[in-house]
Order: sequence, then C-alpha cells, then structure tokens
Amino acid sequence: MEALRLEGLSKRYGRKPILVGISLSVRPGEVYALAGPNGSGKTTLIRLVTGLAFPTAGRALLLGEDVHRNPQARRHLGAVVEAPAAFYPYLTGRENLKMRAYLAGVKEESRISEALDRLKLLAVADQKVGSYSLGQRQRLGLAAAILHRPRVLVLDEPTSGLDPEGVELVHSLLQEMAREGVAVLLSTHHLEEVSRYAHKVGILGAGRLLDEVVLGKKEVYRLETEPLEGALALLKTLPQVASAWIQGPAILFEGNSEAALQALLREGYRVKALQLQGFDLRVYYQERVKHA
Amino acid sequence: MLRLWLFEMYKLFRLRSVQLGLMAAFLLPFLWALAPGLKEVYGLVLASGWQVVSLSLMAGMEFLFPFLVVMAASESLGSEVAQGTLKSLLLHPLPRTRLILAKLLSALLYPFVLLGASFLGSLLAGLPHGLGGFYGGTGLGQGGFAGVGFLSAQEALGQLLSAHLLAGIVLLPLAALALLYAAAFLSTTASALAAVATLLLMRLLVAFPALTPFLLTTYLDLHLRPQAAGLGLPLLFIYTLGFAFLAALVFERKDL
Repeated sequence: MEALRLEGLSKRYGRKPILVGISLSVRPGEVYALAGPNGSGKTTLIRLVTGLAFPTAGRALLLGEDVHRNPQARRHLGAVVEAPAAFYPYLTGRENLKMRAYLAGVKEESRISEALDRLKLLAVADQKVGSYSLGQRQRLGLAAAILHRPRVLVLDEPTSGLDPEGVELVHSLLQEMAREGVAVLLSTHHLEEVSRYAHKVGILGAGRLLDEVVLGKKEVYRLETEPLEGALALLKTLPQVASAWIQGPAILFEGNSEAALQALLREGYRVKALQLQGFDLRVYYQERVKHA
Repeated sequence: MLRLWLFEMYKLFRLRSVQLGLMAAFLLPFLWALAPGLKEVYGLVLASGWQVVSLSLMAGMEFLFPFLVVMAASESLGSEVAQGTLKSLLLHPLPRTRLILAKLLSALLYPFVLLGASFLGSLLAGLPHGLGGFYGGTGLGQGGFAGVGFLSAQEALGQLLSAHLLAGIVLLPLAALALLYAAAFLSTTASALAAVATLLLMRLLVAFPALTPFLLTTYLDLHLRPQAAGLGLPLLFIYTLGFAFLAALVFERKDL
C-alpha cells in the first residue's frame, strides 16, 4: 500500500484555481521531491496533504486514511510546514518537544532527547526557543516531526535557512528515514541536492503536476538532426519514445534509441549525432517549466 | 483534555494583553480611591472601602473589562496564527473541536480572573477607608451609594461578590463572540474590532423595543440590576453556547 496517496486533489479560492487534479503517490521508503517555481502551488499542496487546508475536490490518504475526514490519520504524519518551524518562544526546545510529544501520544521521555540528539540540538535543548537561530529552529522543527516515529514525513523547504552543515544533516536524516521505511514528501528549490537521493521528482507548474521524473532509471539520448521541430514531432508520435523535448540545438528524448533512429532515417532526416547523455534534472526542470 | 486546557490557560496568561489587563484591573482601584473628583462626577464621598470595590466594578464594566475580555479571547487564537504555532498544533492527531474547546474554556475563565484581580486590588485600595460595617451603600443594593442605613461588612461583601459573579457571567458571551470572530478571521485585530462593532450595533437595536429583551447588550449591566437575572442569565448562557458552537463549526473547516 502507498504510504501517501493523492487522488485528484484540487483547490480553488473563489474562481481562481490554485491546484488542479493533483494525483501522486509515495511508497514507504521513497523520497518524493516537489519542485516548481514560486506560486506553482507547492505550499498549498503541502497544506492540503497535511490536513491544514481543505481541498475543493479530491482526497489525500495517509496509509489509506483520509486526512480530512479523520484527524487521527495524522498519527502517521510528521511534518514541517513553515520555514523556520514555529514554536512557543517562551518555552525551551525541550519543553516545546514535550508538548508535541503529548499531542502525538508519545509516552517515552527518552524519545525527546533522542530526537534532539539526532538533530544536534542537545546543547541548546534547555534554552528558550526565542533565543534560537533560524537554523536551530528549523532543526527543532524536524526533531518535532520525527518525535513520534512517523511513517510519512511531509516537509516544506526543509533546508531553508540552514548553513551547509545543517543542510547536510537534514539530507542525511531524510535518507536515513527513507531507509527505515518512512515515505518522504518534500518541496524544494534545490534540485541538485535532492536528486542525489530522491526517487521521484514531481514538477508543478501553474497548479498542475506537469511531470513526474523517476530518478536513477532515467536514460536520456541527445539527438542532433535537421529540421529540429519536424524531428521532435515525429519522435513524439513513436510509441517507443516516452518523452522528447528540445534543449538548445538538440533534441533530448527517453526511450528506444534504435527505433527512433530508424524512424528518423526512414522519414529522410539527416541525423548528425545520437548519443546517450547523463540526465541533468535541473536542465530538464527548467525546460519543462519553460514549456508548460 | 485537562492537560490541553491547562496548557491553553498557561498560554493565555502569557499573552501581553492579558498581563496588561490584569495589571490594569488590579491597579485602577487605587486610582479610584485617590480620585479627587468623585463627588463632582458621581456625587459620592467614599464612606467605606467597600465602595471602592463597587466603584471599580462599575467603572471597569463600562468598557474596560468587556474590551479586555474580547482582546484576550481574540489574541488566544490570533497570536497562534501570527506565530505559526496553530499549524504546528494541528499537524497532530488533535481534533480541531477539542483545541477550540480548550481555548474557549480558558477564555471563559479569564473574566473571572480579571474580576478577581480587580476585586483584590479594590480591597487593598479600600483598606484606608476601612472594610467594616458603615452607614451607606455599595451602590449595588437599595439606596445606591447613600444606602438605607447601616450596612454590615458581611452584607457588603455578599453584595459585591454576587455583583462580581454576575459581571463575570455577563462577560462570558463576549469572550465566546470574540473567539468566533477569531476563528473566522484568524486575526487578533479583526476579531476584536468585529466583536466591539457587533456590540455597538446591538446597542443601536434598542430602537426596536420588541428585540430589546433578547439583545445581549440589554444585559451588560446585569450586575447592577440582579432582578433581571431571571431572563438575563439563561439568555447570556444561550448566547455563550451559540457563539461557542458557531466558533467550533467555523474552525472545523477553516483553511490554515
């Protein structure tokens, strides 16, 4: 069963659609990164997934339970939805976590110290959160999110405001959580960082899920031919080609290169070069968003 | 639920408006006890410390206490929205109704704490005038401040405690109304303004005599005329429950 499943999730404010029919799923142990330009609907999607906002249509399921119909579904959820994470400034980090532990039904006192230790916050645990730096608050947010050993982690820009060490700490924590079987959904602008360990990247644009990129299995070919537009149109008609797009003076495509080459030659295209190219997520994202 | 309510109480009393309000309620009686113009304005020469207590209650209930209660209830939710902590709370498997109920119970207790602070401050401020029996009245019983003869300390205390209790009950629907607006607008300022505007608007409705007995504003001086408690008390409770129910309903489906 998917740990997190979104089925046709839509949100509109008045007549303005913010998100349109978003469907995606994240399996246990999978890291799903949401990317998209500002205003593409990432934060709204995170708010819908966590049950903070209500969809106009569709539903969000956490381990099969509808998060909007049953607040108890959130017992599986660990989340940070703001950067930096919000806490009561007049309480210490430990006191804040104690309150969160109570709300999450965590009974073991030792779990609080474990979470603080994991985020390297033990040294400041007994200081008031009002004196924390932005990075420390962000890390405390993650400590609160993992406190009750959630099975789904949803994070909005988890590395925002962190120094390089903090960024590395967060990425290694997320990888560790995924290895432990936690499903992770995170929104990010830092594609290069998350592409090291994310399994899928969802590209949002203008409130729609434009594309879902499965990382690690991606083989992309670079084709130089003339005329470019005609060849692109041809490739898009081939069942053996999964996707094709223009990047600079060439076409990049995923699929069977031999079938593509044969079709091009059959139609009289002059192929100057065809080679396997490493997949550059950042470039792919930029192209995808530009042509959305 | 008890722990959640205690935490809500703790947070409420951390609010600046609540701390300032309690301080004002405690200190203002000292001002009244020393005010040189009481005779000119109220036709009153203080004969007893008990009169300081009633004077503080009457003056506070004119505007200050209702306003402080409305501010506190508004801020109890509005400050959490502004700090971002409301989202953090609702990320847990905590039903929204339970959270708003905990906030409501705290906001409903606050009027009594506020009046308690005023009562305590008044007693201290009234000490120099004496807190024994005296010839005169508390302003809350027969004969007003002039009274109808000798008033024992026990009688004076009884009148004042009963008036403070009634005043506390009068403030309950205001707290619930402010919380309803806070749930609707998710803003302290908007909620407080809307609650005050609603009360002002209700006051204007006295031009419709048929409505007057059912208006919340008709009973804002219930502590001064306990004889109206027969209809007034049930109505105040109905208003409180109605506003609380609506607050829970609005908050249940509110986007954050």
